Amino acid sequence: MPSTFVRIERPDRPPPLPRHVSWHARANAIALVWALLAVCAAATIGSLGLPSWLPVHLLLLGTVTNAIVTWSEHFTVALLRLPAASDRYQAGRLAVLNIGVLVLVVGAASDLIPFAVVGAVAVLGVVVVHTLALARASQRALGGRFAHIGAWYTAAGVSFVLGAALGTMMLLDSAGTEVQQRSLAAHVHLNLLGWVGLAVIGSLFTLWPTILRTRIVEGSGTVARRVLIPVLVGLGAGAVGLAAGMRWMALAGIVVYAAGILFCLVPLVRTALRKRPSGAAAWSVAASLVWLLAALAVDVHALAVHAPHEVHTALQPLLPLFLVGFTGQVLLGSLTYLFPVVLGGGPRAVKANTALLGRGWPARLAALNLGLPLTLLPGLWGTAAWALVLTCAAAFVLLAAVAALRAWEVKAGPGPIGAGLGAALTALALLFALSTPADEGPVLAPTGRTETVEVALGDMVIEPGTITVDPGDALVLEVTNEDAQPHDLRMENGTRTPVLAPGESATLEVGVVEGPLQGWCSVMGHRASGMEMTVLTTGDEAPIAEHGEHSMGTTDEPLDLSGEFDEGWEPVDAALDPAPDTDEHEVEIRVGEAEQEVAPGVRRPVWTFGGTVPGPVLRGKVGDVFNVTLVNDGTMGHSIDFHAGSLAPDEPMRTIAPGEELTYRFTADKAGAWLYHCSTAPMTHHLANGMYGAVIIDPPDLAEVDREYLLVQGELYPGAPGDAEQTEHIRIGRPQAWMFNGAAMGYDHAPLAARVDERVRVWVVTAGPVGGTSFHVVGSRFDTVYKEGAYLLRPDDDGGAQTLDLGTAQGGFVETTFPEAGHYPFVDHDLSHAEGGAHGYFEVEKS
Amino acid sequence: MEDVLWAGVRFLHVLSAMLWVGGQLTVSLVVMPLARRTLDGERRSTVLTAIGRRFGTLTAGFFLPVQLGTGIALAWGAGVTWASLLEPGYGRVLAAKLALFCVVMAAATLHGATNRTRPRLARTMAVTSLVTSIGVVLLATLLPRI
Repeated sequence: MPSTFVRIERPDRPPPLPRHVSWHARANAIALVWALLAVCAAATIGSLGLPSWLPVHLLLLGTVTNAIVTWSEHFTVALLRLPAASDRYQAGRLAVLNIGVLVLVVGAASDLIPFAVVGAVAVLGVVVVHTLALARASQRALGGRFAHIGAWYTAAGVSFVLGAALGTMMLLDSAGTEVQQRSLAAHVHLNLLGWVGLAVIGSLFTLWPTILRTRIVEGSGTVARRVLIPVLVGLGAGAVGLAAGMRWMALAGIVVYAAGILFCLVPLVRTALRKRPSGAAAWSVAASLVWLLAALAVDVHALAVHAPHEVHTALQPLLPLFLVGFTGQVLLGSLTYLFPVVLGGGPRAVKANTALLGRGWPARLAALNLGLPLTLLPGLWGTAAWALVLTCAAAFVLLAAVAALRAWEVKAGPGPIGAGLGAALTALALLFALSTPADEGPVLAPTGRTETVEVALGDMVIEPGTITVDPGDALVLEVTNEDAQPHDLRMENGTRTPVLAPGESATLEVGVVEGPLQGWCSVMGHRASGMEMTVLTTGDEAPIAEHGEHSMGTTDEPLDLSGEFDEGWEPVDAALDPAPDTDEHEVEIRVGEAEQEVAPGVRRPVWTFGGTVPGPVLRGKVGDVFNVTLVNDGTMGHSIDFHAGSLAPDEPMRTIAPGEELTYRFTADKAGAWLYHCSTAPMTHHLANGMYGAVIIDPPDLAEVDREYLLVQGELYPGAPGDAEQTEHIRIGRPQAWMFNGAAMGYDHAPLAARVDERVRVWVVTAGPVGGTSFHVVGSRFDTVYKEGAYLLRPDDDGGAQTLDLGTAQGGFVETTFPEAGHYPFVDHDLSHAEGGAHGYFEVEKS
Repeated sequence: MEDVLWAGVRFLHVLSAMLWVGGQLTVSLVVMPLARRTLDGERRSTVLTAIGRRFGTLTAGFFLPVQLGTGIALAWGAGVTWASLLEPGYGRVLAAKLALFCVVMAAATLHGATNRTRPRLARTMAVTSLVTSIGVVLLATLLPRI
């Protein structure tokens, strides 16, 4: 539809708006639908398990971006007297933008990150194309009183592109670091102060006098032209300063930006002094500008007192105030004026619609602006204030919807009404039919007892990962954020903590627990990175305890260990090399994630020190110094604990984030067969998934032998690392198999070599995490037993030994000679372990 | 033998529902448009009233008794109790289906009662009844899976 602009004759008057441009009405209707979705999301955020960024992005990407794209183009075209873009171009742009927003929001909310990125790229693309078109168009329209407007919109568009690109990058990388927090702060500043702020101020130079029905004051254009560059430079410096962690640059930039905005308000205030604001539109816009000023003051203060990576955490609680007070309200005010105009229908209809949109506006305006600060109150008052504010917002959207329906003469006949009624009833019935028990009263009688558990939110981990309570017990969680970035805890039943800044705590009343309940951090990407926990009830584990192995289904059945290892499988070499000839050992151990064949034909994901389970062997003599560099190449926090050293755990045993490294220096002043392992909680998980190894410190008088082997015994649990099934099996101490050197039955398929009459020393270290061993070599006796730093038996003694018994995380060695050629099985003589994989062979040949 | 009996009951239940929903669809999508196009005011009103009356009789005399009888029998056979109707899953789907069925019956009754006095309302109720009936079928298809 061609736009019909009335050419203006008097250059000091803002240009009239298009009469009945249904195109704009449609675009605005879409924006209002997004606004309604944002209101719904904000209202239900506590009960439906929605992430807290959802209403923010529904409003900013759905409503605000639609509105800015539509109106910035319209104002540019109208004020610069350019030909309007074709309908097809407009429709295409609108479709791509809105589908992009939908895909982005749905994708990010359901953690389908590639999906979300595609949506983000679509939105970005639309704004890039739009901005380029505006920039080109305003260049073509040289001069003129309103030439500045194109420049403001171009600047806004550039801010959006940079801010949204940062946001998209954060979708891809959710690792919790300072960098992430700084990017987030830059993202928020670029999009709110740049995309929204610049577009709004740019529009208001002409829109504000239009709303007030007065002339543009002298000097307005000059201000608009001169201030833009400093404002833009200030914003750019602010964003770069935030992103790069340059605190003073960030502060200086935002101060310049704020000063520029203050200058821009001067002509607006002068306009208002000339013609007093009256009506819903004018007062809403005026109120929104007060919020903008307040926000700038708060922002400058936050930048002055907080380091860049703390800025976002500090401002986050206040963000909704800016979004509703400034962004939402300026849009509300503008649309109160613009929407009736674009709905058209002649002066009388415009007047009627303006009256409709302004219905009850003083009350709505007062309720919204007085209620908004009250939303910061904790508890019921805060919730009530939010309800009030959201009701005001929803009221406007509904009034606008009525105006639109009236203008488009939507008169529903019995057919559509009946169909709508039927569909709505069916939807209600479906909603009830498919509802989950979460909102139902307790089926189980509460026990009246309350279980209080402390929960720590760490770096991509929630500790403890599993909590077990009696069914019917009320559960209270004392949640503390011990990480360096904000987290929250949301339970499956809808209860949640607020977003906790580093070091903050909150008490979460989960309520009566009837059955298993999941909990997770709802900050985007954190759940996928492993921030999950499970509440189990004692009843859930009863079947496992009572009915034994078969009640858990296939996973609790013993592994079939009779098969063959895959072709190309190689056992970990059990032969132990002598200690290197040095007093100071430099060792680098890289933590990684891999897949390993842990039993014949069974591949499992494992977490490793140095790429294998068990990790590399460190061997030295008493008094040696080990300088270990631990590098975390994994995707979660890890650490290392050497039993062979003695030191304060605080620093060397600390957990390091992915990509970080630490140095662990210890002196091995005691002989023995020592365990080392990852000590990041839950330790059971890290040990059960392969993060262990051995340190051998030779006793000073260690005799020469013909062959030395090292066997590290570990346990294999079903399920994936950290999942509920594995957690439960570790908790009840029920491994699925037992392994020597990371493979169940491995040395059945790759026997260890020896010759008749050779003296063979076998070092054994137990990693657990649950059990030890009773090491035995079938067909032989030990004449030497060394256990936990002391000889229990020497060759000269009269006696012999049949097993080396080791508790969890102990070590020692045995020595024996084989009398004749043959196959000598070596086992953990707890025979269920032997049959469950702790089994191998010595293949003894004639010498 | 018992299986065959239950299959028969289920067959009756589905057949009766089919007649009811199919009948409404046929009247709305085939008969009404044709009647509106081909018959003049007087005769159209006579024919449509007759159709409505016949359909009403069929509903009260065949559909409702069969549907209620077989439905109750099937629920009894499946071990449904009042308490189980609130349980998530099968119980809630069935409860929703029953509630929606009640809405269908209410809409149909209202349609019959207001046909002469308030034709617009009657027409609205007819469409509501039809769409909601389809909703009942939708819920019915959800039942076996849950």
